[in-house]
Amino acid sequence: MAAEDEKKPTAAEKGKGKATNGDAEQKEVQKDKDGKPIDDKKGAPAVEELSEEDQQLKSDLDMLVERILGPDSDLYNPALEKIKEFIKTATSSMTAVPKPLKFLRPHYESLEKAYDSWPAGENKNSFADMLSVLGMTYSDEDRLDCLKYRLQAPSSDLGSWGHEYMRHLALEIGREFQKRLNDDKSTDDITDLALALVPFFLKHNADADAVDILSELEMIDQIEKYLDADTYGRVCLYMVSTVPLLTYPDNDKFLRTAYQVYRKYKQYTQAVVLAIRLNDRELIEETFNSTDDKATRRQMAFLIARQRIWFDVSEDDDPELQECLSNTRLSDYFKALGKELNVLDPKTPDDIYKTHLESSRTAGLTNTDSARHNLASAFVNAFVNAGYGNDKLMLNSDSKNSWVWKTKDEGMLSTSASLGMLMLWDVEMGLDKIDPYTNVDEDLVKAGAMLATGIFNSGVRNDSDPAMALLGDEENLSHKNVNVRVASIMGLGLAYAGSNKEELLEILLPIVTDTSLDMQLSAMAALALGLIFVGSAHGEVTDALMNTLLDEDRSKQLKDKWTRFMALGLALLFFGQQEEVDVILETLKALDHPMSKPTSVLAEVCAWAGTGNVLKVQQLLHICNEHIEEEDEEKKGDELLQSYAVIGLSLVAMGEDVGQDMIIRTFGHLMHYGEANIRKAVPLAMALISPSNPQMKVYDTLSRYSHDNDNDVAINAIFAMGLAGAGTNNARLAQLLRQLASYYHRDPNALFMVRIAQGLLHAGKGTLSMNPFHTDRQVLSRVAAAGLLTVLVSLIDAKQFIVGDAHYLLYFLATAISPRFLITLDEELKPLTVNVRVGQAVDIVGQAGRPKTITGWQTQSTPVLLSHGERAELEDEKYLSLSNVLEGVVILKKNPEWED
Amino acid sequence: MGNQQSSGAGGGPGGDDKNKKDKKDKPKYEPPPQPTTRIGRKKKKAAGPSAAAKLPAVYPTARCKLRYLRMQRIHDHLLLEEEYVENQERLRKAKAAASSNQPVNVNAEGDDRNADERSRVDDMRGSPMGVGNLEELIDDDHAIVSSATGPEYYVSIMSFVDKDLLEPGASILLHHKSVSVVGVLTEDSDPLVSVMKLDKAPTESYADIGGLEQQIQEVREAVELPLLHPELYEEMGIKPPKGVILYGAPGTGKTLLAKAVANQTSATFLRIVGSELIQKYLGDGPRLVRQLFTVAAENAPSIVFIDEIDAIGTKRYESTSGGEREIQRTMLELLNQLDGFDDRGDVKVIMATNKIDTLDPALIRPGRIDRKILFENPDQSTKKKIFTLHTSKMSLNEDVDLDEFISQKDDLSGADIKAICSEAGLMALRERRMRVNMEDFRTARERVLKTKSEGEPEGLYL
Repeated sequence: MAAEDEKKPTAAEKGKGKATNGDAEQKEVQKDKDGKPIDDKKGAPAVEELSEEDQQLKSDLDMLVERILGPDSDLYNPALEKIKEFIKTATSSMTAVPKPLKFLRPHYESLEKAYDSWPAGENKNSFADMLSVLGMTYSDEDRLDCLKYRLQAPSSDLGSWGHEYMRHLALEIGREFQKRLNDDKSTDDITDLALALVPFFLKHNADADAVDILSELEMIDQIEKYLDADTYGRVCLYMVSTVPLLTYPDNDKFLRTAYQVYRKYKQYTQAVVLAIRLNDRELIEETFNSTDDKATRRQMAFLIARQRIWFDVSEDDDPELQECLSNTRLSDYFKALGKELNVLDPKTPDDIYKTHLESSRTAGLTNTDSARHNLASAFVNAFVNAGYGNDKLMLNSDSKNSWVWKTKDEGMLSTSASLGMLMLWDVEMGLDKIDPYTNVDEDLVKAGAMLATGIFNSGVRNDSDPAMALLGDEENLSHKNVNVRVASIMGLGLAYAGSNKEELLEILLPIVTDTSLDMQLSAMAALALGLIFVGSAHGEVTDALMNTLLDEDRSKQLKDKWTRFMALGLALLFFGQQEEVDVILETLKALDHPMSKPTSVLAEVCAWAGTGNVLKVQQLLHICNEHIEEEDEEKKGDELLQSYAVIGLSLVAMGEDVGQDMIIRTFGHLMHYGEANIRKAVPLAMALISPSNPQMKVYDTLSRYSHDNDNDVAINAIFAMGLAGAGTNNARLAQLLRQLASYYHRDPNALFMVRIAQGLLHAGKGTLSMNPFHTDRQVLSRVAAAGLLTVLVSLIDAKQFIVGDAHYLLYFLATAISPRFLITLDEELKPLTVNVRVGQAVDIVGQAGRPKTITGWQTQSTPVLLSHGERAELEDEKYLSLSNVLEGVVILKKNPEWED
Repeated sequence: MGNQQSSGAGGGPGGDDKNKKDKKDKPKYEPPPQPTTRIGRKKKKAAGPSAAAKLPAVYPTARCKLRYLRMQRIHDHLLLEEEYVENQERLRKAKAAASSNQPVNVNAEGDDRNADERSRVDDMRGSPMGVGNLEELIDDDHAIVSSATGPEYYVSIMSFVDKDLLEPGASILLHHKSVSVVGVLTEDSDPLVSVMKLDKAPTESYADIGGLEQQIQEVREAVELPLLHPELYEEMGIKPPKGVILYGAPGTGKTLLAKAVANQTSATFLRIVGSELIQKYLGDGPRLVRQLFTVAAENAPSIVFIDEIDAIGTKRYESTSGGEREIQRTMLELLNQLDGFDDRGDVKVIMATNKIDTLDPALIRPGRIDRKILFENPDQSTKKKIFTLHTSKMSLNEDVDLDEFISQKDDLSGADIKAICSEAGLMALRERRMRVNMEDFRTARERVLKTKSEGEPEGLYL
């Protein structure tokens, strides 16, 4: 804490606000106070005269001590008992040292000597017991007397000495344990003692202490047997919230222990969430199969499906279970939400732009490049009406005079692909609607249709595998038009993201390895593979991608702008794999090419995504240290390297609140000192850390960057604003974006981006989220994070991709999109309307009593929308929720004890 | 932070180049309106980009490993930040050194120029400068100001004024002729309030208080501990008390205890006497109360001590006199500040009065004042303590036996005892003795008791 105080002023020096400096002073003040002894009474009484009672007590104690020191061994036992009684009965203010302890202080050393001279026996044990208590207050920090005497006194009734003593003992145990570990000594005796402390802590509402001491002694797995039905909830909550701050293997141990506890108390849904966090497929399966309760299994299926894990049930007895697992009904649920909220009516892009609210100066000066404007509208339309299967541009007209023909070139691809976004999750209707476009002569439209097929299949599964049949078709994959092929590959990647489907290997691997193909194709195939096998470290794919990067024939192509997606594909394979990635990093070191370093950084940040690991953050910052002069061809790769490092900062830090807040501070410095390549990545990184979470501090900063002199920075900042507010309808952001629209009315690139951002902001008419964290912000969805990362990587050189002609890359966001709703179902999966309270989530870890988990709530009836950081709870206990987190699709069952 | 410079020179050479190109492409590029200006609006404290520079709050407040780990995480990140910034600053300096061969001269030149510019700014400001009030900001360069003399002016704002500090209602410096805004006075609290801030701690400490152990403990629990160890209260799951009232007969040590608290604490200590809050002009009293608490909140953790609270805190009643009503309004503001809508944070209030029964019940209800601490006249043993305390520095004759006074059933307060001791000392002085003897004490006691009973018109109402 002291060190932190010292830090504070350095940070504050640059802050201009007076308030910040004031803060620093305060801290100083507080430190002074802490540094001072709590109580000056300790010193004062030496001069002050004692009151009569005190005098009496003192003389009593003096006499007892004399007896102990004396030769008469018969008196020992009564004297010891008497002193103990004095100590135990002493009550006083919480700050002052109990009087008996104060008066015994001068005798401590002589007592110690006496103790050593006593023969072993019951008396000696009893003596040790007392000395242990005295040792707590008197001895120097590093002597650990308290523990020393405690170990010599086999007394069992530790709790009677009080809470403060137990805590102190725990502290000394922790110290001693470290010391012994360093000296390689046995620790059995102190671990036994520690285990004796645990039940006391648990009984006395100090569950944090119990967990702390066990984790200090590296035996957290022992806690399970000390818990009971009353305490396990709090203890597990504490353990789980500590996890993001621990390092491997502690975090793993914590999660597994908590998992065991939940399993023991039959909290299957909580257990399955932890299993998902552990990313342990076997564990998930085991949990899933550990109960026969149909409804519980369905609830687990929903949770698993939310993480987009592909999972099959072996027996056929419950066909609906498979439906839950494959998200088949997602579209129905989402439309039900839309119906309830009365937002089914399609919106046109103009409803979103609200040009009449823009400053009038721009009226009549609208863009001359209408094809581009129309393309932007197609995107906006796609995002805004995503998932509703109804709009005014694309679906209401036949394919002959569809909006597609109002765009040109690649625009047609993206426009027809927007159908996929509109029909998101609705496979059957989607196939129906897409059909006319697949038979069009224009190759680009056909490509769009392919991509659309991939998009609406993303996140849902259909038994007939239409995406595979359509996109995997030889005809499409070896179509003469490159765009059709690219779109088909992309479609496959989107549709099967996170599926680990081996069949796709046969289709996609040849495209990667075939050196005669264009880099664009191979890179896209690599990316698709990365998405499909995200975080699996799949050996075959890894080898293929590595070989491609090492291949001599490819080396001339490595300079191609598309190569980065090859790298990204490789990186995604190792998403969240942590140390596993080191092999790849070593191999990449051997590669002598400008792309090798950026690839390894990308792979590394993906591997450590969401861990909050400070060492990685430090490494990344070191990468950003160097300044790269422009016009230096040699360093082209390094420029990318730094940009990746910046994005990596957020990728690593995300998911852990404290680190997340701190990294936003760092971005300020990067923006200040960084060169152009760093600066343009900073807005993207800021978006990545808070997607669909419009925090004032983030979008205010972004809004400033959106007027930056460097056009690249501005464009990225605009996109970042869109992503930060994605699917929230945030009014303030909408206003800022409208202002930007009039500000940039002459800059087609920026304007295009503003429109996209507006579309994102109103995505799904404000019912979607693109945040990769779900289930109470506990679980990181790899698929979602991978999709976001892909778009952000392409935006590092926005002018070459998104703002250029590869705008269809934006559709990679589809994997990140999910409805931010809470829908309640009964056990038969029929919709059920109940009242829930929705409010801001409160961190209740380590708080006394049973605090409320939400604050500032409103009561609404389901289905409801949940914003970032909001939580819902059932209004009454008529129904019991099977999932402990009310988010997404939740099954309720009747409370048997409820009486009307 | 560096954020402010984002649209400035931060872009480096690359950014500048592009700028030039842009200009060539679009010669008629109009200067756009600044859409996100925050100038001229009341600033919200916990929002905006400045909030990004704040450190995140660390929960839970109980002492546990989780808290430790979170703090450590913040610490690590701050270290990283420091490292990065240091590296960058070093690089920047190295670069500057490389680009110019005589870095020393450049520095000197720079200093010169700075001083030159500063003096020019001073010239522009002129002297004397008028002090005015900012009524409204029209745009970035113009504002409507008013001065104490009356009329309002539409004036320009000089470019060197820090516009972030300008907000409606701020005190500003005006040029004596053109009345343009040339500066901002940041300290906007009443000078009256800043006087209340205690710069020099009083010398009385807890050791100078005889007895009153119970009271000391209660005050500490309610006032000092919540500021020092808030986690104790969190762990227990209770909200710490907001304030205490000390009441009891005159001379029982209420103010003395407050002094001791001020002496002991390192929190900001603001002291005010109830009568100070009664002001000449309408609305001044409540305003003073408001400012008092704003200053307290700004300097939190802080302790506000209001002595003789009965001056403004008497029971409300129908009153026709404007003065009475104003006093009541002052009290109403005090009520609001104590437990109103805004959370005051780490501000503790100590009040003292010897007429608690006249106080308005709303003022001392729990939630505003959570603890009422009674100060009674000292009992035997306390009396002894007080006597020894006061006589410990006096040179006494051997025959002095204080027990005589202690055992007497006089109704003596702490102040009376002090009076007796000093009176006895004076008696000895009169007779040019170097020691105080028993006789002095006896006469002193007689005198003190006599004057004490004289003060109260005895039996008048019996």
